[in-house]
Amino acid sequence: MDPRGPTDPAPRRSYRWLWLLVAGLPGLAFVSPLFGPTAIPAGVVLQVLGHELTGGLLFPNPCAGASLPDSCSTYFVIVWQIRVPAVLLAIGVGAALGISGGTLQGLFRNPLADPFLLGISSGGTLGAVIVFVFFIGSPQVTAALPLFAFAGALATGLVMLAVARSRVGSVETLLLAGVGLSSLLSSIVAFLLIYNRQASTQITDWLLGSVAGGTWPEVGITFLVLLAVSFLLLLHSRELNLIQLGNDVAQSVGVDPSRVRVRLILLASLATATAVAFAGIIGFVGLVAPHVIRRLVAVDYRAVLAGSLVVGAVFLLAAWDIDLFFAELPIGIFTAFVGVPFFLAILFRRSERSTMGGG
Amino acid sequence: MTGDEPLALEVRDLVVRFGSRAALVGVSFRVRAGEFVALVGPNGSGKTTLLRTALGFLQPSEGHARIFGDRVEELTPLERARRVAWVPQDEPMRDNVPLLDYVAYGRYAHRGMLEGESVGDRRLALRLLDEVGLGARAADGVLSVSGGERQRAILARALAQEPRLLLLDEPTTHLDIGHQLDLLGRVRALSRSRGVTVVAALHDLNLAARFAGRLVVLSHGRRVADGPPTEVLSEDLLARVWGVSADLERDRRTGLPYLVPHQITVTAPRTFPSPFVGPVHVVGGGGAAAPILRGLSEQGYRVTAGALHLLDSDAEVAEALGIPSAIESPFAPLGPEVRVQHRTLLAAARAIVIAPFAVGPSNLANLEDLLPYVSQVPTLLVRLPPIAERDFTGGRAEAIVAELRAAGARNVDDLTGVLAALRAELAVSPSAAGVPPPAPA
Repeated sequence: MDPRGPTDPAPRRSYRWLWLLVAGLPGLAFVSPLFGPTAIPAGVVLQVLGHELTGGLLFPNPCAGASLPDSCSTYFVIVWQIRVPAVLLAIGVGAALGISGGTLQGLFRNPLADPFLLGISSGGTLGAVIVFVFFIGSPQVTAALPLFAFAGALATGLVMLAVARSRVGSVETLLLAGVGLSSLLSSIVAFLLIYNRQASTQITDWLLGSVAGGTWPEVGITFLVLLAVSFLLLLHSRELNLIQLGNDVAQSVGVDPSRVRVRLILLASLATATAVAFAGIIGFVGLVAPHVIRRLVAVDYRAVLAGSLVVGAVFLLAAWDIDLFFAELPIGIFTAFVGVPFFLAILFRRSERSTMGGG
Repeated sequence: MTGDEPLALEVRDLVVRFGSRAALVGVSFRVRAGEFVALVGPNGSGKTTLLRTALGFLQPSEGHARIFGDRVEELTPLERARRVAWVPQDEPMRDNVPLLDYVAYGRYAHRGMLEGESVGDRRLALRLLDEVGLGARAADGVLSVSGGERQRAILARALAQEPRLLLLDEPTTHLDIGHQLDLLGRVRALSRSRGVTVVAALHDLNLAARFAGRLVVLSHGRRVADGPPTEVLSEDLLARVWGVSADLERDRRTGLPYLVPHQITVTAPRTFPSPFVGPVHVVGGGGAAAPILRGLSEQGYRVTAGALHLLDSDAEVAEALGIPSAIESPFAPLGPEVRVQHRTLLAAARAIVIAPFAVGPSNLANLEDLLPYVSQVPTLLVRLPPIAERDFTGGRAEAIVAELRAAGARNVDDLTGVLAALRAELAVSPSAAGVPPPAPA
């Protein structure tokens, strides 16, 4: 009994998948600090988590009265100051990239759009390169890097915003302007690196992205931005649904497409720039997350946006865990390793005519 | 200013320019609440531009449009959407959104930023789907339903805005005659039951005369006539505006005018006497065959054509050129008699040319009837635009074309290709009567 009648070539979609992911995320987050290059007994890790998460009420400090207090407090620092922030940063960055990807694919009505479409990655890279070229060796590098990367990324996003606000700012113009701007910024990066070989090795690490250096303040900022941006983006999911029907129809139903475009670009740029500032360039997450939701859950942008947020978070966290399991490499390498087989499996799950238009 | 109910739509001295070209040149007219007005005129006369300006999509360079008393550009997008809704020719749908959700999209202007869809919204959407005959298909996706059903869903989505004015831009273009009548019938019934004013751009004058209480005729961006169909449509107007000479008849049942074009101005000199070669038969429709009919006639070929529909521009060209054709009554699917006529013409042909015509359910028989003849005589298939783009039968036409090709039909690109191939295939230049060119190697 084939559930697909001749009139319904689409695969069955179900919100079950989304709830599964939502339920899986806290569990995955909780076990993630168990992994890392230092061998720490699982019991200690769980005790540290229990102690900190309950404010010391339910679980006593595992290091109090321990036989080896020194190594225990080292464990404590590793788990609570290094592993947990990295896990949370992976969640926050994944979620930010996911929801930005969903927004931009909807806005541009283009399944290949991703958070870096607006030239944001090139802008962030330029910011990072400036730090490596001009501040290298100085103690301010660690502080300056996120700041400059954020400034570069957001500045590019704002340039694109100006293009979107101009009268010629059709969707196609924006796409082309983004590609053009990216090329220009990449050329400037290449130019700077030619004169500074040392910076070019360091920039490679940054370009592959990493959540390993995440700190609590970074986690805090990321989640604050994510919370605000996601709330505002989700308010625009109905507009995104209507924009899928073309500008004219959206307009006739009461949407002001140019105003929506400006708001969404601003919000997506902000979320992406934050992710870039703390984790470098992590590709693939923002491209894939919306497709996973569209295939498995629903095509409605209320689901696509909320779902991309969750899928992005789960996906980047999973990539981070697998990364730690092998070796602590830049996470950008693993997002594609983990993501591509999974993505292909979903794509070929059932041939689907509905995303191709037609009729 | 006046105590009367404001006009549903008032267009005054509207001028719209695209670059240096003026699409509308000082158009004025008024539509009272409750009217059903059809905008008619030839291609490029400004119908769509007028509707888009009334919706506020285009800014006029002079004049203005008012909707229920207010200038359209002074309304916010939400205010405007609560007064006027739009049904386009087609919507570029990408996602297989369930019909119920799709219709509920029309509620956008009635909800606040933080409000979700209410139960009332869903209930209204479902009732509208019921009213357009799609109540049982609410859970099906917009891409899973047929073209006629989709157009009805678009209508339901527009009505979900609870508009007082409904603007339709050639909503029946992609529909066969059954669905054309069905859709316009529903628009008229719903406009009466809900008190919605309707302004529809329509291509088909007979449909316009049948459904609209009033016709506004545009030509070259100007309003050239305005009034009830019985008064507006005249043989003189058809000649002036469409360049068509036609008989205007009266439908005996409805008393509405009904036009039967018999000739169009064609400057095709028949300089050559009928050549020795037997006739070349052209299969076409919708104007796709017209250049081929003309080109072949000018070259001196004897030409036959079929099966065409009366009122169709190919049929008009055929008649003007004195080309024997199998002709069906307007809108009807090709009937058995016409198909026999058509097959007789095919059997007599020395070569067959298949014009790149749009294939719908009503003329699919044209392709089906070709099959037995393709292996008998040289058959040329004009390739562009590709069949996939003009197949409105869900792939059946495409399949038949593949069969025709397998049976020996040759691809050619255009009229030049047709002429070259015919010269080679028939090994005779019809214009150089009696002096055959060297046979091709």
